[in-house]
Amino acid sequence: MISDQIMKTNVLELPMAEPGLELTRSNALHIIKNRCLSIHQVKETTNLADVIDGITSGDTVLLIDGFATALINGVRGWETRKVTSPEAEVVIRGPQEAFVETLRTNTSMLRRKIKNPNLKIETLKLGEVTNTDVAIAYIKGIVHDDIVAEVRRRLDAVKVDSILESGYVEEIIGDGPLSPFPLVNHSERPDKIAAMLLEGRVAIFTDGTPEVLTVPTLFLEFIHSPDDYYEKFYHGSLIRFVRLGALVMTLALPSLYVAVITFHQEMLPTPLMLSIAGQREMVPFPAFIETLIMEISFEALREAGVRLPRQVGQAVSIVGALIIGEAAVRAGIVAAATVIIVAVTGISSFMLTTSAGITIRMLRFPMMILSATMGLFGLSVGLVTILVHLATLRSFGVPYLSPVAPTTTGDLKDVLFRAPWWAMFTRPRLLGGMKDPQRQQFRLKPTPPETRE
Amino acid sequence: MLEGGKIDSKQAIFLLTTMVLATAILFVPAIIAHHAKQDAWISAILATLGGLVIARLQVTLGLRFPGMTLFQYLEVILGKVLGKAVGFLYLWWFFHMNAEVLREFGSFLVAAFMPDTPIIVFIIIIAIISAYAVRSGLEVFTRVNQIILPLILLSLLVLFALATKEMRIIRLLPLLDTGVVPIIKGAITPLSWFGEMATFLMIIPYLNKPQEAPRIANTAILISGTFFLITVLGVLAIFGPALSARWMFPTLNGARMIHLANFLERLEAVIMVIWVFGAFVKISVFYYAGVLGSAQVLGLKDFRPLVLLIGVIVVALSILLHPNILDLARMLGQVWPPYALSTFEVGLPLILLAISLIRGKGGQQQ
Repeated sequence: MISDQIMKTNVLELPMAEPGLELTRSNALHIIKNRCLSIHQVKETTNLADVIDGITSGDTVLLIDGFATALINGVRGWETRKVTSPEAEVVIRGPQEAFVETLRTNTSMLRRKIKNPNLKIETLKLGEVTNTDVAIAYIKGIVHDDIVAEVRRRLDAVKVDSILESGYVEEIIGDGPLSPFPLVNHSERPDKIAAMLLEGRVAIFTDGTPEVLTVPTLFLEFIHSPDDYYEKFYHGSLIRFVRLGALVMTLALPSLYVAVITFHQEMLPTPLMLSIAGQREMVPFPAFIETLIMEISFEALREAGVRLPRQVGQAVSIVGALIIGEAAVRAGIVAAATVIIVAVTGISSFMLTTSAGITIRMLRFPMMILSATMGLFGLSVGLVTILVHLATLRSFGVPYLSPVAPTTTGDLKDVLFRAPWWAMFTRPRLLGGMKDPQRQQFRLKPTPPETRE
Repeated sequence: MLEGGKIDSKQAIFLLTTMVLATAILFVPAIIAHHAKQDAWISAILATLGGLVIARLQVTLGLRFPGMTLFQYLEVILGKVLGKAVGFLYLWWFFHMNAEVLREFGSFLVAAFMPDTPIIVFIIIIAIISAYAVRSGLEVFTRVNQIILPLILLSLLVLFALATKEMRIIRLLPLLDTGVVPIIKGAITPLSWFGEMATFLMIIPYLNKPQEAPRIANTAILISGTFFLITVLGVLAIFGPALSARWMFPTLNGARMIHLANFLERLEAVIMVIWVFGAFVKISVFYYAGVLGSAQVLGLKDFRPLVLLIGVIVVALSILLHPNILDLARMLGQVWPPYALSTFEVGLPLILLAISLIRGKGGQQQ
């Protein structure tokens, strides 16, 4: 943990320093502190708790016989991972750096994005055993003060043994403790965290993990990606609609299929219905069981693909595609239509890479049960229930479904449709824009100069 | 405070629009067409205009007592004993109306989609979801509605646009052939739907700008009136007056008529989804009014313990009210409009307003 170089300086060079001066009992501390320690950060303390804290954090403490003062030498240094490109949140266009495990590196990466004295970073220690450093970051003047106070209050109330990952913090301070939906967002991208802060959110850094939490969280954040803002706004807007479509399909496509095949065959055009009926002639299971088996094996394949080493992971997908795509259909265990539905659902679910995606994938199973028992009525009931649940949620006082419900008209410019940057006049109102709503000047829209004759 | 939430004017407009429109588009067209034949659309316009007048009356009453709901100022106007007595009558009306809506909800699903399923299944399920929403407070189902209503209106417009191929304007002729009386008769049923705006009296104190209440009521009635008119026109132009009157749910049959490019067929599933979404909001509003009103009449500090209780009463009532769907249709077409309009929608508010003016109760309108 402690850098050898510095220890050597401390131990070896100390006796040789300043031969001219006589080392007496009375001036030893002074000489040692000012002349001998070739270390940039030396702190004097008389407090035992500081000494213990220093040692456990990786500093060395010099105690000198006859003095009630300890010298804490800031010699922290340990093996760290280099800043690499993001693994989970890949973008085509945009910065290719991700946070690392060291808190100070992470906060400095954020400071490099926002060079402003109003970017405040407060640190505190959480975890009675682990004493993990946690930092709250926000931009004073943009953020709502109540939200910062609430974050502080909730973090102060955290009394646990250990904080090993930001997930611990998330589950303890987040709203809706029993809700399947994520009410705290997280990211490993400094640019995304910077953008979040600039919209008036609060970020929570945890030492030892590259994932940084942000609150308050809105549901529709989860269909946003940083490159929506970097690419031209048509592309950014369109891709958001596609993601919303993927979200709905992941949630409802398998259950819609089950409902239509089981209860509402008349909804299909006749040729399609005949074709599906022909495929299903050999299948021994009801549509629900068939779809359920396929969806579960798809989830299994996906999990296997994530955990296995890359080389083996490919083998899994080949086996999955071959066995499930070909053999199962030929053996007459599932209908080809079911495979198509499951595959389309799978592709849609790949578009939802955020933590809300996991929730949606999970919820499609109860939805399938509902539509298998009550057809389209069950499906609609499931959708209404999910909507009601979403409407009950609040993240740090901000309604989860805002700015859509309750509607804040000005904020709809950045929900599904992403307004061009020259039109992003105001900050999100419910997050923090109340105080200083103006984000940028009006009339930024570029116009060519009038041509001279 | 029983209800801590506040809703803004736009949310209130959305809520009232869904409340009126949700059941009106399915159950009412056949009833109007029965009376007014091909002039049913004139009845729809008349009803909308009448609705504006009724809403004006109700809102005037509501605004005389800022910050109070119907049940609170009943006691101010009529005194404690009489006020509570009329309060119980109004509670009965909210419960009854909710039970009717629940019954309509279940009957439609049984009649049109799932004839073998017992009606109580649908009623209990929607009642449970509404109970969850009502328990979570006014703000919650208002927010849900903000997502639901645009979807409903959009789907209605799309269905209408797709069905234009089947429509013949000539089916709306001859104009005013049946005379004026049938048109007025036809207008009464939709008028009682617009009269449900009386529920707004429970919501006015929770608006963040109560002085905008008249504008809110008018906008809601105009929006729902417009979409109702579109539905009636569409149905008449597709089927003509005779067929529209004979079918129980001509709107559903209209959606069934849609055939496009051999692919878009039998879009009645869309109607079902609209129905579940819209009826959920409508039931939640009445449920909420009933629960909040009960808590106020009984002088409770919290309405949550009443939610389940009242839910059970209303569900049981909805089953007991009618032996079959024909009885329900007769009730909606013949009994309900005069009953509701004469007492709770127009009669009582008029009397209350008069008494409050005579006794000088209630502040000036802001």
